[in-house]
Amino acid sequence: MKQVTDEEIMLQIANGKLDMLTILFDKYNVRIYNFFNKMVHNKMVSEDLTQDVFLKVIKYRTSYKNGNFAAWIYTIARNIFSNYYQKTKKERSNIINDDKLEANDTVISEGKKEELDHLQKALLQLSNSDRELIVMHRFQEIKYEQIAQIINSNENAVKVKVHRALKKLKEIYFQTEG
Amino acid sequence: MECKNIQNQFLDYLDKSLLEVANSKVEHHLKSCENCNKEFEEIKSFDSILRNQQNDIPSNNLRLNFEKMLTEEIKENKTKVIAMQPKIDWKSHLKIAASVLIILSAFLLGKYQSNASLEFNNQQKVLASLEDNSASKRILAVANAEEYTSKDTKIVKALINRLFFDKNTNVRLAAAEALSKFSSETIVRDALIKALETDKNTSVQIELITILSKIKEKRAIKPMEKMLENEETPLYVKQQLQLNLSSLL
Repeated sequence: MKQVTDEEIMLQIANGKLDMLTILFDKYNVRIYNFFNKMVHNKMVSEDLTQDVFLKVIKYRTSYKNGNFAAWIYTIARNIFSNYYQKTKKERSNIINDDKLEANDTVISEGKKEELDHLQKALLQLSNSDRELIVMHRFQEIKYEQIAQIINSNENAVKVKVHRALKKLKEIYFQTEG
Repeated sequence: MECKNIQNQFLDYLDKSLLEVANSKVEHHLKSCENCNKEFEEIKSFDSILRNQQNDIPSNNLRLNFEKMLTEEIKENKTKVIAMQPKIDWKSHLKIAASVLIILSAFLLGKYQSNASLEFNNQQKVLASLEDNSASKRILAVANAEEYTSKDTKIVKALINRLFFDKNTNVRLAAAEALSKFSSETIVRDALIKALETDKNTSVQIELITILSKIKEKRAIKPMEKMLENEETPLYVKQQLQLNLSSLL
């Protein structure tokens, strides 16, 4: 049985078979949502942004030209994140302060939950470009080659960048622990 | 430099995605370099924490909203296709044409009516002013009356009336001048000749003589010769008569 690729499905969508987008939604919505949730650490916002991604896929379906679908949809997701980041720049300092207060309040929570929170806070301290590399490579297991396509770089540069970002994250994580 | 290159490959080594040669190179280095070994262990343990994280599951709203959005888009696409069919809706075209016609006719009717009534009003005003007690107002009215066309017999008749019967010399002068503009009408010409015969005021007489010669009214020759023969006619009027008679003869 021949496996239908995401690219073939997307081309059919571009040609008017809109209902086929449900297949791609099923396949990608959790991944895209988690990409956003790691980037912004806010479930509501992540759902909204994921919704935006699929809206853009619909609106710009005819501009899809046969390239790697995952790379295409992640490029859209990155743009949406970047827009969101610019829009909320002003409010951000307040949010971070709130987070810090919250962190002191939730000392009670123990074990795995605390570990997760701690990691998420460390992640948020990374720059956007470092954070997205960690999210894409370590959490979402996207290959270097594809990340290079998404962020418009080359494979080797991505490799080195991911390694550096992970090292930075590790340092932040252990520095602020306890 | 060696260590740095090796460390850059730690993640791939962890993921077991290195080629065999590179893989054994890293393995070999880790056995000999304590520093790198320590770094590798750290990365390994940290990465396991990282990878331990489970994917969060979005709420059902995401799917519901997506489905709603998709059906709307599909619906919109379908209605677009229907709209593209080259079906000409004569009824709506007729409706538009009819409404345009109604608006246009209403506009034209309104314009014509208001113009007509405005003209009528003005005419009434001028006619009334011509009968005003104040001489200056009558002169003004005469001047205004000049703007009417010769077809407007009411105005012309009113002006002739002024020429014959107004007590004020200046009004009669103004009326004569105004009437000279309507000289194509026989009724006006007759009136001017008659006025020359009857008016006793010399200024009016001179004005009338000038007008009649200007409009080349041959019938005015007789009354003018009569005036020349009349001994009571002042000298300066006679001079005017002689001057204009020569152009008429």
